[in-house]
Amino acid sequence: MKLINKKNFVSIVCIFFTLITCGKLLSERLAGFTDRYYSDNIFTILGFSVLITLVLSVHYYLQKFPFLIVLLVQYAVTVGIVFLAIWIHGQFSVHAPTAYWDMFYSITIPFLGGAIVYYVCFFYQIRKANAILRNLQEESD
Amino acid sequence: MKLIRTKEENLKENYLELHYDKMDDETSAVLDRLRDTLRYVEGTSGDKKVTIALTDIYYVETVDRKTFAYAKDACIEIKEALRDVLEEYSGAGFARISKSAVVNIYKIKKLQGDVNMRVIIYLKNDEKLIMNRSYKNEFYERLNKLQGRKTK
Repeated sequence: MKLINKKNFVSIVCIFFTLITCGKLLSERLAGFTDRYYSDNIFTILGFSVLITLVLSVHYYLQKFPFLIVLLVQYAVTVGIVFLAIWIHGQFSVHAPTAYWDMFYSITIPFLGGAIVYYVCFFYQIRKANAILRNLQEESD
Repeated sequence: MKLIRTKEENLKENYLELHYDKMDDETSAVLDRLRDTLRYVEGTSGDKKVTIALTDIYYVETVDRKTFAYAKDACIEIKEALRDVLEEYSGAGFARISKSAVVNIYKIKKLQGDVNMRVIIYLKNDEKLIMNRSYKNEFYERLNKLQGRKTK
């Protein structure tokens, strides 16, 4: 089943954008940090949200390929696009010396988290299905 | 409706016998469900015409536009397309696992996942089938429906 389609693409981007922005504001409030590049970062979050939604939406078309390869290729493509965007941005203005590392962590952590959640759900579903199969078997014996 | 189970030693084949005065809704519903499972599938094996009980089929697969039904010791070519098999026999526990295969859930021993998120299906005849990720949700829905039906 295709979860992200043309109709709900924008809504999902908005959900990602809201969640990431709220997370950013909350962590800044807790750390007592003031973002000097607030407007720049808001647009970065918007771009990031579009990219995440795009990556997730193409996942449906890649289901016939091995998951690990799909995950690694999607990760590499996402990192590549973000690094390219930083490089282009760097041609017009100065960015922080740790910009590449910061964005690398910003991509790697959600990807790793997402993959772990996906794996846990996958094996939990199998465990549940095996329990149902055992029940069906016991009832038919 | 009352159900009486009687264990008989040395019986050649299990059988069900229905005693009724009037065919009520409950009895008709039970018969409808039985009709699904007590069906036979006709096919060919070489030049011979062969009939297999639907409940004996482990899985159905399409190879080179031909549909084959696999039982424990037999493989027959059937006329139905995979889509028809699914439409007609889904009530008997058949579920799609890939573009070219449909499995009888009652013939599955266990499921196992691998690192590539593929589900390996171990059948009771020790054969292995691979479930495609895109059919995973459909399969689990089918399984849950069967469980729901059993517990009702």
